[in-house]
Amino acid sequence: MSETTTATPSTDADLFAPEVVADPFPTLTALREQAPAVYSTKYDFYVLTRYEDVRATAGDWESFTSSKGVGLTEQFNKQLVGSVLATDPPEHDALREVLSDKLAPRGLAQIRQQISDYATSLVAECVAKGTFDGVVDIARVFPINVVGDLVGLPMEGREKMHPGADATFSGFGPFVPYVMEHLPQLQDYQAWMGTMADRSKLTPGGWGEAIMDAVDDGRLTQLGAIRTVSAYLTAGMDTTVNAIAALMRLFADRPDVWNALKADPKLAAPIFEEILRLESPVVGFWRVATKDVEFGEVTVPEGSKVLLHWAAANRDPQKYPNPDTFDIGRNPLDHVAFGYGVHACAGQGLARMEAVTLLEAFAAQIDTIELAGEPIRGRNPIVRGYESVPLRVTPRRDA
Amino acid sequence: MKIDIKLPACEGHGLCAQTAPGVYELDDEGYVRLVVDEITPDLEAAAEAGARVCPVAALAVRR
Repeated sequence: MSETTTATPSTDADLFAPEVVADPFPTLTALREQAPAVYSTKYDFYVLTRYEDVRATAGDWESFTSSKGVGLTEQFNKQLVGSVLATDPPEHDALREVLSDKLAPRGLAQIRQQISDYATSLVAECVAKGTFDGVVDIARVFPINVVGDLVGLPMEGREKMHPGADATFSGFGPFVPYVMEHLPQLQDYQAWMGTMADRSKLTPGGWGEAIMDAVDDGRLTQLGAIRTVSAYLTAGMDTTVNAIAALMRLFADRPDVWNALKADPKLAAPIFEEILRLESPVVGFWRVATKDVEFGEVTVPEGSKVLLHWAAANRDPQKYPNPDTFDIGRNPLDHVAFGYGVHACAGQGLARMEAVTLLEAFAAQIDTIELAGEPIRGRNPIVRGYESVPLRVTPRRDA
Repeated sequence: MKIDIKLPACEGHGLCAQTAPGVYELDDEGYVRLVVDEITPDLEAAAEAGARVCPVAALAVRR
């Protein structure tokens, strides 16, 4: 290496290797300390890990386009072309508007009671059992049926939704063995969704019908409709499922947090924000630089793929002191677990409502909560979460 | 200090109003509006904090 030229900071660390997926934070800390942007020699992208850079880049859609796909590989990005995830304004805004009336909090207010009632009955079933799995019996049930009902999907086939969404998310990254192992679930899910762009299958008044209306009046093509349904369904599954799973684990590990919630259910919202910051269910998405962009001393050349690492940004100690600690007083509303800017999660209002109603139901019905077995982490390289969180609870005596 | 509101971007998540209720609120249709006519110096910190938490970048602070 010549002493007069500055080499591009690079890494041969494999962010998607099973051992790094199992515990990514030591690797992410090293990358964050190494340089603002670090080139992955293994996968040919630059990774951003510092909070301010990640947020600014997410907000700058003109310099960092989504239109070439927000996954890593060409094969996967081809499937996203023209979807709300993989377009820039103004095309993107028109797609996002198709559901924004329903997804925005003003639209959600009308369905809060319905979601809350469902949370109450689901938690009651688990409390009656005493011992249950926080992932299998709650986290993978609640969001699936909430979203399934809102879209107006038939009950039949909903069992494909979580495995399919999980497989889809894994495909955003490199095609590691996890992705290949889950191809059957992905194909099953896509085949099923392909049949859902059909009014006769959808409950009137649901989001699915709103999407079909957009096809009829020319705002969406039939393929666009399938991709839009697919984007919202997928986005509404694995994310919320894993955030809720992380909450279950949190309560078992941290009786102080659980007792605080029980005493004051209004803490549900800040508890949810802090678990999103700490766990970042979606670790990151890619963009493509439309021009040379400098991050400190590092120039990211035009045409480079850039990974916006939400999970790394959310644990940047410059932004959040003691970032590895769950702090109930932090209420980090500016975390980037939902992304930021024009592509920020369109369903974040729904995610908040689901989490808050579920935690309220927990606080109302449960007295103590503890692990009934060893939790098992998921292996998905893009979505951090759990396969299993066995729990034992006792009912509130005053409930 | 002035607050630029990009109303088409606002989706009514309400984090601004939650963070800085003395500066922002949601109108009857669930879109952001300012509670005050002018951001006086005592409101600047709150105004900035509220703009900062907008998840869809609908709020910008201009000095």
